[in-house]
Amino acid sequence: MTSAAITVDDVSAAYGSKTVLDHVTLSIPRGSNFALLGPNGAGKTTLINILCTLRKPDGGKASVAGADVVSQPTKARQSIGVVFQDSSLDDRLSAWENLDFHGLVYGMAPKDRRRRSEAVLALVELEDWRDEIVRSFSGGMRRRLEIARALLHEPEILFLDEPTVGLDAQTRQRIWHYLDQLRRERNLTVLTTTHYIEEVENADMVCIIDHGKIIAEAPPEQLKAQYGKRWLHILPKDDLAGRAIQARHPEAQPLGSHSLALPADDDAVTDAFLAEFRDSLTEVRFQAPTLESVFLSLTGRELRDRADGQRDAEKAAGKRGGRR
Amino acid sequence: MTRPIVLMRGVYGVWLREITRATRDRGQLIGGISRPLIWLLILGVGLNPYFRGEVYGEVRYVIPYTYLQFLFPAVIVLNIMYTSIQFAVSVIWDREFGFLREVLVSPMPRALILLGKVLGGSTVAMIHGGLVLILARFADVTLSLEQMAMALGLMFVLAFGLTCFGVVLAGRVRSFEGFGVFSNTIILPLYFTSSSVFPLDPALTRTQTATVYPEWLVFMVQANPITYAVDALRGIIIGFNQFDPIYGPLVIFGMAIVFFIAALIDFSRS
Repeated sequence: MTSAAITVDDVSAAYGSKTVLDHVTLSIPRGSNFALLGPNGAGKTTLINILCTLRKPDGGKASVAGADVVSQPTKARQSIGVVFQDSSLDDRLSAWENLDFHGLVYGMAPKDRRRRSEAVLALVELEDWRDEIVRSFSGGMRRRLEIARALLHEPEILFLDEPTVGLDAQTRQRIWHYLDQLRRERNLTVLTTTHYIEEVENADMVCIIDHGKIIAEAPPEQLKAQYGKRWLHILPKDDLAGRAIQARHPEAQPLGSHSLALPADDDAVTDAFLAEFRDSLTEVRFQAPTLESVFLSLTGRELRDRADGQRDAEKAAGKRGGRR
Repeated sequence: MTRPIVLMRGVYGVWLREITRATRDRGQLIGGISRPLIWLLILGVGLNPYFRGEVYGEVRYVIPYTYLQFLFPAVIVLNIMYTSIQFAVSVIWDREFGFLREVLVSPMPRALILLGKVLGGSTVAMIHGGLVLILARFADVTLSLEQMAMALGLMFVLAFGLTCFGVVLAGRVRSFEGFGVFSNTIILPLYFTSSSVFPLDPALTRTQTATVYPEWLVFMVQANPITYAVDALRGIIIGFNQFDPIYGPLVIFGMAIVFFIAALIDFSRS
């Protein structure tokens, strides 16, 4: 059991002529909490689909729990639990029926099904809802039920594709607490994909992926130390001031809602900037190194998706800022 | 460990889900009950008198049965056809709303997922066909237990084949709306050309005996596999066959096998 839980070796994937995964190589040790971080469309879900055998890679090899996802899919499927990005519950069945269905499909004995179903329902605090039809559930409740279901058959590896969308902070914490416990006790491996930075702060390892390529892979602290810059977030008084600043400081990167981010590592530069533009600014704020700023430094873009209109602006910003 | 049991559980789980869903789908159940009522009460009762005549002072039937008796087995087939082919909607539903992935990432083999699903759909369709049997007394049809068992068995195999056919259709249709229209344009022509509402050889009066249906119609009836399914059920239920009684079961089992293989090829590709 010394082998890695998940290995991805030079995997490529494309939809038509659009490359979504570009020679990705990864190795995830057993028992780790591994986070795959990247904006929407970076290729995270495609990678998950390959790892849970829903899609074949167009090149390269991947294996989960020692089973090749292409040549031994059944073996691979036995050892994984998956929470998909969008719901895959049957909303005409009750919570209990959804769990029981899952147990049956995974071939669990009646006694195990009952015991495990009760345990996972308790974990996500849905015992009172066990006989309610899923259609009446809120988004957060569905999410919780899905996580419960993925854990029902005690998988070795758990894939969470954007898991905590719609979950409140308390539930999120409790689920992570339980997952951490499972990692310690049963050596569970958790692979999370997310574009929420809060999600990955307590991961062992963060892998930043953008445009189908891995651009950094390290523990969060190391990433912050290595790539995290202090940034100066500013909000120019008006468009004119904004353009003047950008003309003077081409390294400034546009964020959403007209604000700009300036690298603030060099105090002299910062002082000079403030002296020059203090009258053109309505807001100034220092931003300590966070994973968010790591992402900004690495890709020249903010991580979170903005409204559609700003996506193009971000793209343009990415080109202007250049990539490391 | 004991692998067959593990696999059986999976098939049972998929089957059970279809049954549970069907019991919660009121609309389909209402259709399953109202359809035979309309066909037997309105069409059957309405046309019943035209199916017999007086020949030399004696009441005769076109065939030695009343129209209601003649129509009864065909309505069973109609109910099965509707439910089986509509089953494709459930397949499209699973695909569009993501549930399919839940089973596709499970260790259950693709073929067994399909088998469980089709068995579920055909059980529901058979039950809908069975609902028609409740009206047997009304149509002047008496059934022994043995006849009932044989009919249900044949109905199940027919439902199985048609459900697989529905799955094959589902693979070719992208939207729910499209499927509604599509299924009606398939079901009704198949039904009408299966010698369901008229016998192929009307022979009551001299004029009728002299009348011959146009060749294209006879050809369509003979080429339609549903014709033989209706004929087989008629053979069991009222003891009247228009064709060699071996054709019915042959065609029904043949359809089940061919369409299951077609559905399997489709399903493994997706």
